Amino acid sequence: MMKKIIFGLFCLLYVQMASAQKDSLAFDEGDNYIYYRVADKPGLSADTLYKRAWDFAGTFNPSVKPAKGQAENTLNTSGKMIVYNGSSLVRKEGGQISYIINIQTKDQRYRYRISNFIFTPYQRDRFGNMVPIPGIEVPLERIAAKYGKKDADSYLDQIGSFCINTAAKLKQFIDKQPLANKTEPVKKISTQNW
Amino acid sequence: MKKRLLLLSFFIASAFAASAQDSTKTDPPLTISGSVDTYFKYDFSGFKAPAGGPIAPGSSNIQTSFGNEQNSVSIGMIDLALKKKVGKAAFVGELSFGPRGSYQSIVPGSAGETFNIQNLYVSYDVTDKFNLTGGFMATFIGYEVISPVGNFNYSTSYLFTNGPFQNAGFKATYAFTDRVSLMAGVFNDSWNSYISNVDVSNFGAQLFISPVKGWTAYLNVITGPVSGTEFDFTTAYQITDMFKLGLNAADYSTAHGGNGFSGVAVYPQVAASKSVSFGLRGEYFKLKNGGPDVKAFTLTSNIKAGPLTIIPEFRIDGASTEQFVKGNLTPTKTASQFLIAAVYAF
Repeated sequence: MMKKIIFGLFCLLYVQMASAQKDSLAFDEGDNYIYYRVADKPGLSADTLYKRAWDFAGTFNPSVKPAKGQAENTLNTSGKMIVYNGSSLVRKEGGQISYIINIQTKDQRYRYRISNFIFTPYQRDRFGNMVPIPGIEVPLERIAAKYGKKDADSYLDQIGSFCINTAAKLKQFIDKQPLANKTEPVKKISTQNW
Repeated sequence: MKKRLLLLSFFIASAFAASAQDSTKTDPPLTISGSVDTYFKYDFSGFKAPAGGPIAPGSSNIQTSFGNEQNSVSIGMIDLALKKKVGKAAFVGELSFGPRGSYQSIVPGSAGETFNIQNLYVSYDVTDKFNLTGGFMATFIGYEVISPVGNFNYSTSYLFTNGPFQNAGFKATYAFTDRVSLMAGVFNDSWNSYISNVDVSNFGAQLFISPVKGWTAYLNVITGPVSGTEFDFTTAYQITDMFKLGLNAADYSTAHGGNGFSGVAVYPQVAASKSVSFGLRGEYFKLKNGGPDVKAFTLTSNIKAGPLTIIPEFRIDGASTEQFVKGNLTPTKTASQFLIAAVYAF
């Protein structure tokens, strides 16, 4: 009985966490997917926050230069991420998602959104590589209708996970935490005394 | 005890969630992809090479690659490709079994053996823009490919059938931008062969240009003292979500004797819905040195149900000489066939 309870709990937790990543996305006023957060940062001016956000954007995707937005203290950057489909043995690149990150600051607060998700499906080329299909671009909102709910849910989970990671990186820059990789202390044991 | 078990299950679940969020940082997984395909073909002449006769059983009236067998439920191949990339280094190994994946697309070894290999190469990204690759690879020439998943039509063009299938060699590719790249390499002196006859004396190059989003164009050349010289132009443009236009033009000259071929094929395709599309292949192909020419038209539909694609196809070929046969084996200038194939991709 106890085993069944534990197994059920495990499944529940797993399903909840899987969906939690997808649920981090919401719909904006235009019914498009968006990852949107507002954060307080007491004691820091809009300019300081903007500079730190700019540093984040420049580091996050070095191949794309951040651009000033139309509103004051606003910046935009963009990028692409690869999403996978299938599971276990036949898991492979299903396509790439392009996105835009918009960050805006004011005194002691900042907000950011990751949006404009566009999916480009991959196909296998003659050399056995998964590559984008030229000219096919599907807004994230239409993926379920075009490719089915199963793939759409999987991609949404991966995008949600990506957005959570990106938000954590932005927070590190805003907080100005050092980004150096953690160095785990090497565990050493003494073989002299026994 | 119960509390410990519950706690343990919670930690295990947490670990799953944590690793899922870090998935974008890790190397891609080992990728396994491939396909299986099967078909039925009926040539309207009724031509079927009898066993024990002068024509090899399985020979087709229309002599382009694959889908050859008359009035028969036949198989293409099972194709299995493995790819793994760790950091900057990657390999691809692609195995194929079945008529399409062995003697119909691979030249056997000197003792008649086949190794069932379509791709076997390693590559290394020297920088984000510069890649080196070496091994036995599918050719970079042409519009159509051996895998049925990569083609809209199931039967193949004369340009495909008469061009190279694979080239073994070493190539370097530099991507100037996302829209322009150049490949150059040296390849074994013989096409489609695991080993060279004499040396590695074919030179090949490919200029890739994408003038606008959705439009790709490849200018290709392969030339050598044994295999001759082929110039090839391959382009495709996804003009709208529903309409795609492809084109392939090539000219080939043998190394000696002035033989060869030239031809052009166009591939308009229309998506009628998310699961049904239609495409036409119109081809003109001519052998050099006073050889005959042939015009071929293939109307094909792709009906998709998830990973499965059903491909009904009607084809009619007309030649300048009597190179086809009627059911009683008398020669004729035209041939036509119906084919239905099922291709499952994974």
